[in-house]
Amino acid sequence: MMRGPVRTLLLVCSIALTSACVTSTVDEMVFNEPLEGIGDSSVVILGRRHASDYETEPDFIECVGDHIASHDQSIRVINELEFVNALYPWFEPRTAPLRPEDIERLLRQKPVAQKMAELKTEYMIWVDGATVRGDSAGSMTCAIGPGGGGCFGFGTWSDDANYEAAIWDFTDRIEVGRVNTSATGQSYMPAVVIPIPIIAPVQGAACDGLGNQLLEFLSSEY
Amino acid sequence: MSRSMISAPERGNLRHVFGIAVVLFTLGGCGPEQVVVKGKFPPPLMEPLPLNIGLWYGDDFAHHEFFDEAKSRTDSSWVVKTGEAQVQMWDTLLAGMFDNVVQMKGKPGPGQMNQAVDAVLIPHVDELQYAIPTHTNIKVYEIWMRYRFELVTSSGDPIAQWTMSAYGKTPTAFLQSDQAAVNLAAVMALRDAGANFATTFTRVPALQSWLQQRWRPAEEVIP
Repeated sequence: MMRGPVRTLLLVCSIALTSACVTSTVDEMVFNEPLEGIGDSSVVILGRRHASDYETEPDFIECVGDHIASHDQSIRVINELEFVNALYPWFEPRTAPLRPEDIERLLRQKPVAQKMAELKTEYMIWVDGATVRGDSAGSMTCAIGPGGGGCFGFGTWSDDANYEAAIWDFTDRIEVGRVNTSATGQSYMPAVVIPIPIIAPVQGAACDGLGNQLLEFLSSEY
Repeated sequence: MSRSMISAPERGNLRHVFGIAVVLFTLGGCGPEQVVVKGKFPPPLMEPLPLNIGLWYGDDFAHHEFFDEAKSRTDSSWVVKTGEAQVQMWDTLLAGMFDNVVQMKGKPGPGQMNQAVDAVLIPHVDELQYAIPTHTNIKVYEIWMRYRFELVTSSGDPIAQWTMSAYGKTPTAFLQSDQAAVNLAAVMALRDAGANFATTFTRVPALQSWLQQRWRPAEEVIP
């Protein structure tokens, strides 16, 4: 037999599970798409880190890179940290090129030009944005004592993700596309002794949205 | 039932152990938050400048630490030790920036026997500030540093002195402790210091006349 509180908890959980979903929107603007993919060249995805109040999360950049590489294994995506370290100090927030024309000046330095040629970088994708927590509501009380501990209450919050990717053609030193993705979702955390987080995968949805759009641009199979 | 396997006195002991653990855990939170900055720093990708530079780290620099006392009961005191990471970063950066870098045997000064070099660089950290989300309500951890560099001859005569700032920040992340985030922000600040130094060295106004005596820069190194 199922007791009343357990049944209520299951009901709350099932309602919350069905509600913790994400709405995602993608806008794309492409000027010059490669018709046969990028061949044996590589692509690097970098996060913009100039703003003072937010930072494009490194794990989001990694997620987009993994998404592209896992869906089309012919595309070589250079790891962000590996690239930034290999070209230190030219891609730090202070020194990173802000416009495609800045690449020209960067390549005037022989070691940088040699490293770029070695990496066969055809496209450089700059991702700017962040996932931020919006409104939150509810309250939760937790207590701990010699006999044990537990929490009781209910909390809910929303997350908003907004990212824009600018695609630079490294050979022609021009911007060839721009993709924007935004996602929003509501997360819940009911707690009856143990808190049960029901998290809306907002950043994951934004990653998939952006990754799919970039795949359409870079891959000959999409 | 597993519950019946534990007798009453044993349960009492378990409660004591749990109680002591809770007290120790609570008291453990009373000490200052301590971060010993650790990171990896890549060598710079650039043509080395044709200079033979000596390097001297003072004790205040090589063992640099920053202490910030809690301003209220809800705040924590912080100790951020950057000395080891500073030495690691500057050693790596300068070795890639100049043709030859030599660690000085002693602080340059009159009568001090030292290796023959073009000049000796002495870095100082004059100021360090940090901010964590509980201070600013912004979800980034920040470290800001102000450096002062002295360039002197082997015998300690001043050639130039200039200051430079560095800034590093890192966003909040799920399951990331304050200490780990402050460490990451400090590593970013150190990388920024290296980037700033490497890309502006030949343009420091105080160094212009000395650099022109040594060599005429063929081209700016800034992209």
